[in-house]
Amino acid sequence: MVNFIKEFSKGLIKENPTFGLLLGMCPTLAVTTAAVNGLGMGLATAAVLTASNLLISIIRNVVPNKIRIPIYVVVIATFVTIVDMVMEAFVPDLHQVLGLFIPLIVVNCIILQRAEAFASQNGILDSIADGLGMGLGFTGALTLLGGIREILGAGSLFGIKLFGEGFQPMLIMILTPGGLMTLGLLIALLNYLRMRRTA
Amino acid sequence: MTKAKTFGGGIHPRYNKERTLNLPIVDAVVPKELVFPLSQHIGAPCQPLVKVGERVLKGQKIADSDAPISAPIHSSVSGQVVAIEKRPHCSGQDTMAIVVSNDGLDEEAVPASTGTSIENVPADEIVRIVREAGIVGMGGAGFPTHYKMVPPAGTKVEMVVLNGAECEPYLTADYRLMMEESEQVVLGLRLLMKALGADKGCIGVEEDKSEAIAALKQAREAFPDIEVIPLQVKYPQGSEFMLIRAITGKELPVGRLPAELGVIVNNVATAVAVANAVTTGKPLVERVVTVSGSMVERPQNLRVRLGTPVGALLEQCGLKGQPGKVIKGGPMMGVTLANLDVPVIKTTCGLLALSPEEAEPLEISPCIRCGRCVDVCPMRLQPVFIAQFVERGMLEQAEAYNATDCRECGCCSYICPARRPLVQNIRLAKSAILAKRRK
Amino acid sequence: MEQSKLRMSSSPHQHARENTSRIMLEVLMALVPAATLAVFFFGLRALGLMLVAVVAAVATEALLQKLSGRPVTIRDYSAAVTGLLVAFGVPAGLPLWIVAIGAAIAIAIGKQVFGGLGNNPFNPALVGRAVLLASWPAQMTTWVAPFTFLTSATPLGGGARPAYSTLFLGAVPGSLGETSALALLVGGLYLIWRGIIDWRIPVGFVGTVAVFSAVFGGDPLFHVLAGSLLLGAFFMATDPVTSPMTSWGRLIMGVGCGLITAIIRLWGGYPEGVTYAILIMNAFTPLIDRYVRPVRFGAARK
Repeated sequence: MVNFIKEFSKGLIKENPTFGLLLGMCPTLAVTTAAVNGLGMGLATAAVLTASNLLISIIRNVVPNKIRIPIYVVVIATFVTIVDMVMEAFVPDLHQVLGLFIPLIVVNCIILQRAEAFASQNGILDSIADGLGMGLGFTGALTLLGGIREILGAGSLFGIKLFGEGFQPMLIMILTPGGLMTLGLLIALLNYLRMRRTA
Repeated sequence: MTKAKTFGGGIHPRYNKERTLNLPIVDAVVPKELVFPLSQHIGAPCQPLVKVGERVLKGQKIADSDAPISAPIHSSVSGQVVAIEKRPHCSGQDTMAIVVSNDGLDEEAVPASTGTSIENVPADEIVRIVREAGIVGMGGAGFPTHYKMVPPAGTKVEMVVLNGAECEPYLTADYRLMMEESEQVVLGLRLLMKALGADKGCIGVEEDKSEAIAALKQAREAFPDIEVIPLQVKYPQGSEFMLIRAITGKELPVGRLPAELGVIVNNVATAVAVANAVTTGKPLVERVVTVSGSMVERPQNLRVRLGTPVGALLEQCGLKGQPGKVIKGGPMMGVTLANLDVPVIKTTCGLLALSPEEAEPLEISPCIRCGRCVDVCPMRLQPVFIAQFVERGMLEQAEAYNATDCRECGCCSYICPARRPLVQNIRLAKSAILAKRRK
Repeated sequence: MEQSKLRMSSSPHQHARENTSRIMLEVLMALVPAATLAVFFFGLRALGLMLVAVVAAVATEALLQKLSGRPVTIRDYSAAVTGLLVAFGVPAGLPLWIVAIGAAIAIAIGKQVFGGLGNNPFNPALVGRAVLLASWPAQMTTWVAPFTFLTSATPLGGGARPAYSTLFLGAVPGSLGETSALALLVGGLYLIWRGIIDWRIPVGFVGTVAVFSAVFGGDPLFHVLAGSLLLGAFFMATDPVTSPMTSWGRLIMGVGCGLITAIIRLWGGYPEGVTYAILIMNAFTPLIDRYVRPVRFGAARK
């Protein structure tokens, strides 16, 4: 159990896929124009990640080494298709907004990296913990980014207007440069906090 | 009127020459004890020819060397050798020196009327006289002059250039010499031309020194093969590279000899020493030194016996208070002295005492990449990049940016608005690169 | 006299009087004519915008340097110059808080994140202006006419074409500091005369725009006088930090800026291209410095 918690919690802050490992930058920058988009994208990724980690951990001893990557991709693609269909059925609006980025989870490097670096070498429970932790870390990061960009760029959070009529949103924040700047500054802030801790 | 000749880049520092410009050369006090370092020039140090306790005469050779690049050393007073030991030297390190106690008689080693005239002296005899007189480049470099008078095989020197561009601020010693001894300057030039078989002679003088130009022009009246060339007032016009560039229009690559371009450059003070050595037979035992700077009460151009401690000169000219820095040479390339017992040697052209305010360390701020150092570098280097490479330990990059071309004139550090130690860093790079090459 | 009090140091022992703060102060002085005319044309509102921008820029610089534990260097006046240039690039009707954000971003994102003065790849003032343009496009392009404060389009943006003399004096709608060619020329020529900036950048920049627009059927004089060309050419492209270090490099910089500006003006989606032209050439500056180097002494022409 101690191990489970350890594997779960590392993905939240210390090895956070977005801020610590700098993985999955493409969806990170593309969809985080609003908090809800970040949250949806993050949860979808987390679901795929947990499920694929679980399955790959189960089959890790029977997969021939030479063709392991194609097999992982097939496993991941299966779950992505499921998630894609589920989202289309139950949250069509969000599915519409995220569009192509849901199918693109297949090639999200976080998932392949966790499969290759963790699930293929660890037990089932640990792999689930890792997938959940990494997935939720990714979700948290995307929601944070989306939240900041939505507040500054649209004056709302989760679609709720925060300011009065006089507020004039800073459009650049929901454009790509705003995403890059927010991401860069957040990473800098986290690194700074980490440095202060170790110092 | 044609525009005065010059080179690319360079700076216009505050010259501060007014205080000594119009003061005639006067004799300095001769101290009780004189110190003659065995190394006063570029090349092999000398070996003593005298022993402790021995009596020496003024002009007597007291040290010499067999090495081709070296020059003998003579006593500038008569008296007794009291010690041969390590003494402070302007290089900052203690070096072996002969210490002579002055008996005040000034008994000459060379009999009067030993000299000869330019008509009676053959070319190779001039070279021998110059060597025996211990003459070295007196502008500051100290390269033995006789060695330059025998050009390497395969080269023919067509022109002898005299360097009268005293571009360092404060210094007026060469200017006074050109004014007061213009005949000797021209005679020295003719002797150098004769020794080298050169057909042309030039004296480059900065154009604002119009009186010196007029004096020299009058002195060379009878010699159509000698020309006085006005140069633009700019630092470092007196650098050998820049002087050749200004006068001949040719650029001398670093590492090549001026003789390969058919040119030899000597300082005007060196020319006067050559003329004196030939006409009187007497060796180099004194030189003119400008003593100036804001802390000096009575700045002067002094004729100083070699071996006189600089402290005695400062005392003679008076100090207004505690100086912050004492510099041998000019403010652009001179070295700071920590010990005022350091003696005047053949290359000491100036002695400056600056105020504590002027000596304050500078506040260094970040480089703003303005490129002024690139604009002023007379060697067309990019000091900013070389200095950055040095700060990051990237010696190979510094070498690729031709750090070893640097002549250390200091224009870059002078002009830098962020007060960054550019030439200082490049110097580090140069010595590290040269040390690596020697391996 | 005590010998132990003698300082030892490596030559040179004499330095030019000009230092970084003097250079920045001279630039500020050269901006005074344009600032005065801005107040004359657009009233106290212009003064307010300039003051707010300068204060915001200086305060941001001090705050960030304090936070990161570095020495506070607001006395070099570089932040003040940046702030004033940000204000010069906005219309007179802009809310004060927007210009404050612009100045703060110019210093924070344009300069301090890269390590402060000397390390920024892009002109901070232009970074600030570009962010403002992308963030509040409506407010940033709502120009007002001088004296009347009626909303109207700039000459480049399709507004009425004033007489050359009006354009030269600057009594046209536009950003605060860019309208008066006269004031900018006075300041720019002063900087060239003082040796603060190299003539090659403005001459290359303005010359290229003139020639290029003439060749493609434009009115060269109009293109030179209108928009922020002169402001950019004299005060922004010449920023020492983000322009090349060699004479040839600076000429390339000027010509490059001119080409991009003319292309954007003639065929681009925006009426004005000076900001983006300079930012793009800023990106090329390290490359220019890498390849355009002085010829080694003695290596040239035999």
